[in-house]
Amino acid sequence: MWSEWQTWLSQLQQAASDFTAPLSAAHPLIILPLNILGFWVALKIYRRLGSPLLHPVVGGSLLVFAGLWLLNVDFTGYQRGSGLLYLLLGPAVVALAIPLKQNLTMIRKVGWPLILGLLLGAVLAPLVAVVIALLLGGSKTVLVALTTKSVTTPVALALAQEMHGIQSLAAGVVAFTGIVGAVCGPGLLRRLNITDERVVGFSLGINAHAIGTVRALEISALCGAFSALAMGLCGALTALVLPLLVTS
Amino acid sequence: MAQLKKLPRWLLGAGLLVAFDLTGRTLTSALSLPVPGPVLGMLLLLLALMLYGRVPRGLAEVAEQLLRYLVLILLPATVGIYFLRDLAINDWIALAVAMVVGTLISFTLTALLLNHLIRRRSNPQGEDTNVE
Repeated sequence: MWSEWQTWLSQLQQAASDFTAPLSAAHPLIILPLNILGFWVALKIYRRLGSPLLHPVVGGSLLVFAGLWLLNVDFTGYQRGSGLLYLLLGPAVVALAIPLKQNLTMIRKVGWPLILGLLLGAVLAPLVAVVIALLLGGSKTVLVALTTKSVTTPVALALAQEMHGIQSLAAGVVAFTGIVGAVCGPGLLRRLNITDERVVGFSLGINAHAIGTVRALEISALCGAFSALAMGLCGALTALVLPLLVTS
Repeated sequence: MAQLKKLPRWLLGAGLLVAFDLTGRTLTSALSLPVPGPVLGMLLLLLALMLYGRVPRGLAEVAEQLLRYLVLILLPATVGIYFLRDLAINDWIALAVAMVVGTLISFTLTALLLNHLIRRRSNPQGEDTNVE
């Protein structure tokens, strides 16, 4: 019963004791500032250029990778050095409940079309991708990574762990999917004559999660709220149903 | 001084997040549920907030800060993609096509469906799509 608490405590202890280890390139005091710097610079670039192609997820990870290459640190060393950030992953998933609660009243206004759209969208997004990959002969690793493509990264990571998939591949797939959706989505819908901001926002949230939500917020606050709502609901729904399908 | 006054409230908020995370993990492992622990924690917190009726201020503030730095928190997992070497070329092609084409297809289908549903519901009442 208490084993989960013990694992958590020992992770905390591990992260703390890594700080007292002798200084090396993979020391938390080097890796953590590298992470923060990569994130900060990527955010600045993104804000200045405003292109979803350079979303901090992409820019930040590239910058950190370049830093690791220069410092000659391998992935295991990097993961150890980032221990503190890994500890925040769980609470960050839990924190998604707050915007979800704040947007929940909006679903009552639109009602069942939204719920139906959500259910079908949440099923369609991974299904279409998996079918395409299956037709092209992708391996099981690829298929598992694709199933989490449309859910927000923290939830996708938790899911990948649950299904014994590769976490970083899932994270990459999620980021790339978000970029494709955010870059092409709104223009595509304009061509189809869909201008209802609620529809645009909701589709962005289901298919392009957090990156899509950032894009939706640029369109309007209403669009952003619907996107955030769709992202939260889609993540929760996928997390509940997907492991049942994959493990069975 | 103002910062110091906020501290208890922030600690309470952070404590709640960790507590719900751990509760979710404990429940999923004890009942061997196939749901990720933190996701169950999120749903439990959502339920608790709905019952409580509002979001405590400290919790809202801590969550906002945490979500603002979400990209940073996720960075270690994202960087791992560049260290993946053992995937076949075939796999990369399948991945890329599935992501680009798949996302565009599902995006279009969701939007068309939703557009259709919302219109059908609001048209008979003569309701405009604008929020009044």
